Amino acid sequence: MEPASRLDQNHKLSLKEFPYIIRWREDRCTRCGRCTAVCPVKAIEPAVNIQRTVTSEGSSPEPKVTRRLTHVVKQSTDIERYCIGCGTCALVCPTEAIFPEYNFQHKFYHFKNKGGIPYMRGGRRNDPSVSTLDKLKFTRISMLTDPALDAGRHEFRIRTLLGRNLSADHLPIKVEGDRLTVDPNVFVPPVREIYPIRIGSMSIGALSPHMWEGLAMGITYLNEVEGLPVVMCSGEGGMPPSILKSSAIKYFILQIASGYFGWDEIIHALPDMIEDPCAIEIKYGQGAKPGDGGLLQAYKVLGLISKIRGVPQFVDLASPPTHQTKYSIEEAVAKMITSMSMAWGFRVPVYPKISGTKTARAVLNNLARNPYAAALCIDGEDGGTGAAYNVSMDKMGHPIASNIRDCYLDLVKQGKQNELPLIAAGGVGKAGNLAANAAALIMLGASAVDIGKYIMQTAAGCFGDEYNRCNVCNLGKCPRGITTQDPKLYRRLDPDKVAERVVEVFKAADVELKKIFAPLGRSTELPIGMSDALGVGDKDIADRLQISYVC
Amino acid sequence: MIIKGNVNGKRVSSKDLDEQLQKAVKEGTRELTIQANGQHGIGGRIWPRGEKVKVTIEGTAGQRVGSMGMEGTEITVKGSSSDDTGWINCGAAITVLGDVANGAHNAGAQGILYVQGGGGARCDTMTKKNPRFPDLQSWYFRDMGDSFAEFKAGGIAVVCGVNPRDPENILGYRPCVGMVGGTIYFRGPIKDEYSKADVRVVDLTPQDWEWLTANMRPYLQAIDRMSHYQELTKDINAWKKIIAYTPAEKAKAKGKLKMGLTEFRLNVWEKEVGKGGMFGAYLTHDRSVLPYITTGEERRWKPVWKNDKYLPPCAYACPSRIPSHKRATLIRQGRTAEALALVLQYSPLPATVCGTVCPNLCMTDCTRGRIDQPLNIKEYGAAALNLKAPKKAKATGQSVAVIGGGPGGLSAAWQLGLKGHTVDLYETSSKIGGKLEMCIPRERLPKRILDKELSRFAEIGVKVHVNSVVDKKKFEKIYKDHDVVVIAVGAHEARVIPFPGSENVVAGIDYLKEVNFGKPRNLKGKKVVVIGAGNAGMDIACQAYDHGAESVIAVDVQKPASFGKEQEMAKERGTQILFPKVTEKYDAKAKKIYFMDGTSLDADMVIISIGEKPVLDFLPADIHADRGYIVVNDLGQTSDVKVFAIGDATKPGLVTHAIGQGKIAADKINSLLMNYDYVPEERTVIPYERVKTQYYEVCRTDVKFTPRKEADRCMSCGSCRDCGMCVESCYYGAITRKKLANKSYEYVVDESKCIGCGFCAGVCPCGVWEMAENV
Repeated sequence: MEPASRLDQNHKLSLKEFPYIIRWREDRCTRCGRCTAVCPVKAIEPAVNIQRTVTSEGSSPEPKVTRRLTHVVKQSTDIERYCIGCGTCALVCPTEAIFPEYNFQHKFYHFKNKGGIPYMRGGRRNDPSVSTLDKLKFTRISMLTDPALDAGRHEFRIRTLLGRNLSADHLPIKVEGDRLTVDPNVFVPPVREIYPIRIGSMSIGALSPHMWEGLAMGITYLNEVEGLPVVMCSGEGGMPPSILKSSAIKYFILQIASGYFGWDEIIHALPDMIEDPCAIEIKYGQGAKPGDGGLLQAYKVLGLISKIRGVPQFVDLASPPTHQTKYSIEEAVAKMITSMSMAWGFRVPVYPKISGTKTARAVLNNLARNPYAAALCIDGEDGGTGAAYNVSMDKMGHPIASNIRDCYLDLVKQGKQNELPLIAAGGVGKAGNLAANAAALIMLGASAVDIGKYIMQTAAGCFGDEYNRCNVCNLGKCPRGITTQDPKLYRRLDPDKVAERVVEVFKAADVELKKIFAPLGRSTELPIGMSDALGVGDKDIADRLQISYVC
Repeated sequence: MIIKGNVNGKRVSSKDLDEQLQKAVKEGTRELTIQANGQHGIGGRIWPRGEKVKVTIEGTAGQRVGSMGMEGTEITVKGSSSDDTGWINCGAAITVLGDVANGAHNAGAQGILYVQGGGGARCDTMTKKNPRFPDLQSWYFRDMGDSFAEFKAGGIAVVCGVNPRDPENILGYRPCVGMVGGTIYFRGPIKDEYSKADVRVVDLTPQDWEWLTANMRPYLQAIDRMSHYQELTKDINAWKKIIAYTPAEKAKAKGKLKMGLTEFRLNVWEKEVGKGGMFGAYLTHDRSVLPYITTGEERRWKPVWKNDKYLPPCAYACPSRIPSHKRATLIRQGRTAEALALVLQYSPLPATVCGTVCPNLCMTDCTRGRIDQPLNIKEYGAAALNLKAPKKAKATGQSVAVIGGGPGGLSAAWQLGLKGHTVDLYETSSKIGGKLEMCIPRERLPKRILDKELSRFAEIGVKVHVNSVVDKKKFEKIYKDHDVVVIAVGAHEARVIPFPGSENVVAGIDYLKEVNFGKPRNLKGKKVVVIGAGNAGMDIACQAYDHGAESVIAVDVQKPASFGKEQEMAKERGTQILFPKVTEKYDAKAKKIYFMDGTSLDADMVIISIGEKPVLDFLPADIHADRGYIVVNDLGQTSDVKVFAIGDATKPGLVTHAIGQGKIAADKINSLLMNYDYVPEERTVIPYERVKTQYYEVCRTDVKFTPRKEADRCMSCGSCRDCGMCVESCYYGAITRKKLANKSYEYVVDESKCIGCGFCAGVCPCGVWEMAENV
C-alpha cells in the first residue's frame, strides 16, 4: 500500500477545472488579510509556501541551499469552496495584488454534484451570447416623413395601462343631456396608469431587508418626487404591516404564489389599509426556472423572514411548482383571479404571471375570455432567480421575444390587443440596454416590462454575470449584501444609496426611452406593437417575429 | 426706389424680387421701398460695405424678412411679419411695426430686431454670440409665444410685457429649454415652467439697468412707443433677468437629485412606514452601514487559539495515548528528565514495549514521516529504561484484583497502584510478564530490559501472587475479597486446524514458551514448516533456526500478516514464506505436509501459529463471553459491573493494545472507586493538513538519535510550539502572548484590531489557531 502522503493528489481536482482562478501577486501583497477576511466562500486562505533553491556562486560547483518560507494567499481546490469569481478580494485589496480570472477551459459542471446533489445557484441563464432583444434595432427614424420629436426638448409622458381596458363599445358610457355619464350598474375593471418599466417580483427573503427597502424607497421617491409612477412587485414573501398600512402601498403589486407565504399578514392588515395596492400578481411560473417551484434555502430563513412569512426559522421554504388545489387552467385562473379581486372589492387589477412557454398562447386565450383578468405577465428564460437547479436555469424556458410576439399577434387576431395588456419579463437589460430592450418588447407587443437582475446590478452593484460570476444568491452569502439575511453582509448595503441608484436608473432609462420614441413621433402613447419600427439583421429572427429584415 | 411685388396683377416671385433688389443696391440705390406680396427673404444678404441701405417693406411681408441680414442694412416692416424674421441675422437692424410670427431671430447672431407687438412660438431660439461682433438684440413690446429662447447661446432679448396676451405668463410655455448663453430681460409674470435645469431668474444689476434704460429709448422711438418710456424705466424691480447656468454650475448640478435620499427617507418614507424604516420593528441592529472589513463583533470569522484541541497522530495512534509531542515540548524547554519520565504515567513498560517489541503505531502515523523520517519515539521509550517508578498517590483503601500478569494486567495494576489502590496481581506461572516473558524471543527482547522494568512494580507496591492458578472457586474468592476485579488472562490456547495429522503438529505458543523457559528441543538438521506466517510465526522461525533447524518454511493461506523487524530477522536466517497454501494433511510418518493445491513439502516438524484463544474456564456464567472472548465495552466493562476485562482475553491484539486497555480500564475503575465522572478522551486526531510541514527542512540522511534533536524535529501537531509566528504574521498586531501561572501561557486576540482574516490559522506551524464563525 502506498503511504497516505503519496496518495494526496489522487482524487483532488486541479485548479484548471475551476471556473475562476485567483491571480495573486506575491510582489504586491502586504499580507494584510483583507481578501481572505471578505471571501464569501473561503475559496482563498492564508497558507505557507516553501521555496528551496540550490545555488552555486563560486568559480567551481559549490552548492548552497537556501530555504525561503513565505506566507501566501492560496486558492482552495475543494469543489465545495470553489472560487465564485465575485472579485470581492480585488475590491478590498489595497495593492491590486489579487483578482479572479475566468477560466474558459473549466470543468466545473463535471464536478459540482458532490453527494449526488446537482449544482444549485442563483442568478440567471449563463449565456453570454447576444440575446434576441439586443439584436433588435429601431429602424424607423422619422425625419421629414412624420413630425419627429426632440427628446431633449419636447415633453413626454411615457405611461402604460395595467388592467383590463374595455373597448369603446363596451364602455358603459351613455349620453345624458349634453353630458357623458358612466353607468354605475356596469362593472368597469380597475386600470392603473403606471410606468412601463416595473421592478419585477423579488421577495423579502430572496432580497435582504436593506436591498428591499432601498428598492421600495427608490420607487416611492420616483412616484412622489419625480412624478414617475414606477411600481414594484412584492415577490412571494409578504410585506410587513408597516408598508401594507402605509399610503405607499399603492406603488406595490402584491404577489401571491403557490407557497402563500406572508398572506395571513396581508389579510390581517386588510381592514387597516388606507390605500389599495397597485395590483395583485398571481405567480404560476418563473422564467428562470420554469416548471420548478420557488425556493428560499434555509440559510436565508432567519428571524425577520420567519416573522414576515409566518414560518419556522432555518427551514427550506419551497413554493411548489403548482398551486396545490388547482387542477386545470380554467379552475386556476377563475378561482384565483376572482378570489383576489374579491379581497379588494374588485378595485384592484389581478393578473397571472407565467413562465415563458410554448403554451403561453393557450393561457392567453383563456384570459382573454375572463373579464376579470387584468393582464398577462410572461417571464422569459433569461429571468433571474434566487435559487434553482442550474439545469433549470440554463436549459429550460422560452425566450421572451417570440413568446410575447406570438401572444400579441393572437390578441390582434381577436381584436383585443388594446384590451388585455401583456407584460414581458426575463432578460430585460441583460447586457445593460434597459431602455432599448424595453422599447423593443413594447414594439413587439408588450405593454410593460419587468426588471429584476438588472436593477440588482445597477442599483446595488450585484457582481453576477453570464459567466457564472458570483451567483451564490441561494446560499445567503451575497458579498454585496443583496441576497442575504446575514446582517454582517447586508449592512454593507446602504438603502439610501440603493434608492438613489433606482431613481437615477429610471431617470436615465426615461431619457433613453424618449430618445427611442421621439423619432417615431410618440410622446404620449406607447408604441405598443408598433413593430414596423423594428428591424433585425437576422433573417430568421425577422421572419419569426414578423418584423423587417435589415442589412 | 420702389420695387413692386405685384406687377400687372401678377405676383413677382421671391427670386425675381430679390434679384431686382440686389441689382438696385449694386447700382447704388440706398433707400428702397418694397411693396411686398408675401415674398420671402426680403432685405437679407445685402453688403453695403460701410454704407447704409434702408429697406422699407409695405404690404404683406413673407417669411424670413432680413434673413442673413448684414450690418448696415436697416429694414422697417410696416405691419406684422411672418415666420423666421431675422433668420440667421448677421447684423441687420430690423424693425417690425406689428407682431412677428414664429421663429423670429432663430439662429440670429448679430443685429437688432425691434418688434412693436409680440412674438410667436420659438422666437430667439438658437441665437449665437460671436466675440468679433456686437451682441444680437431682440426687443419685444408685448409678450412671447411658446418655447421661447430654446438653445439660446447668445444675444440679448428684451420682453417688455406691455398688454400681454396671457396676463399670467409673458414668456409662453416652457421657455429657455437648452439655453446656454445670452440674456433675457423681461417685465411681467411668468409661469414656473421655464427650464430650471438650464437657466435661472435673477434680479437686474445696476449695470443691466443702465444698459436697459439707455437702449430702451432708441427701441421705443423706432416702434413709435416713447409714450411708454416712463412706465418701462421707472422701476428696476419690475424687471427680471434670465441667464443660463455656466458650464461649471451645470456640471456641479449634474446628476443631483431634487431631494437627497436620506432627506427623503427621514421626511417622507419614515413618516409613511414608521421610524427605522419598513423593517424597523423587526431588526435589532441599527441602520448604520458596515464596511467590508470589520473588527470585533462584526467580523464574520474569528480566530480561536485551540491549543491541544486535537490529538497529534502519534498520541492518537497509541492505544495508551502516550503524548510524545509533550515529551518533545518539555525537551525543547530544557526539561528533559521530566520529559522522559512522562511516559511512565501511561505505560509501566516503555523500554520493553515502546523501546523494543512495539511496532510503534505512533511512528507509523507521525506527521514528520510524511516529509522524511518519523520521530524516533522508539528511542524515547528505550531511554526510559532506568527511570524510577513515579511517586505513588496516597493509599485509598480500595482494593483491586488483577488476574493475569501479562502486559494488560501489568498496565492495569500499574495505573491502579500509582493511584493509591491496593492491587493484588494473580499470575498462573512463576513469573510475571506474560507473553513478553514467555513467548517473545530473548533476542528481540533482552531479558535484562524486561526484568529491569518489571522491578518497578515492587517499587509501587503491587502485590504479585505468582503460581496462582485461578479456577472457578478461586475466582469467587478473589471476587469477594476485592472491590473490583480485572481479568487479563490473555490467550494461551493455540488454535489448531483439524486436518488429518493435526494431532502431530506442535502449537507455536508452546514451542516459544519451551524456548523462553530454557527447555528448547533440538532441531538440528530438521526441516521445519510453520503454518501461519504472522509475526509469531516469524519468531518461531527464528527460534527454530537458532536451535539447529536446517530449513524453515512458513506458509499462509493469504498474504502474510508479518511485518517489520520480526519478518526481517526471519528472512535473514533463511525463512521462506509461501502463500497461498491451505494445508490438506500432515503425514508424520512420511514427514510430508500436503496442501490443497496439490503441492507438498518435506516437514520433519510442523508448528502451527495461527493465533490463540483465551482459557476462560473460571468465568462465572453471568460474565458474558462470545465466541471464546469476554464481551466488554470500550472501557473494558463486562456484564458484571465489578468485573473488567482487557487484552487478548477480550480480543486478539498487540502488546500495546493490552497496555492501552489496561490504562483505560484503570481510569474508569479509579473513577468508580473515587466516585467521580469518568470523561473518556474525546479528542480526534488532527487532520494532517492543519500541520504546516513546509516549515521543516527535509532531513536528507538518517538522524542520529538524541532527545534534543528529535524534539526539534517534532512538528508539535495541534500543540503550540510557542514560536510566535502568529504574533508576527498578524498585520494588525492583534495577537499577543500572555503569561499565565505555572510557566504556562496563552495567545490572545484583541478583538478591536482583528479583522478575521485567518492568517494566524493559515500560517500556524502546529495548526493550533482555528477560524470559527463569529456568532
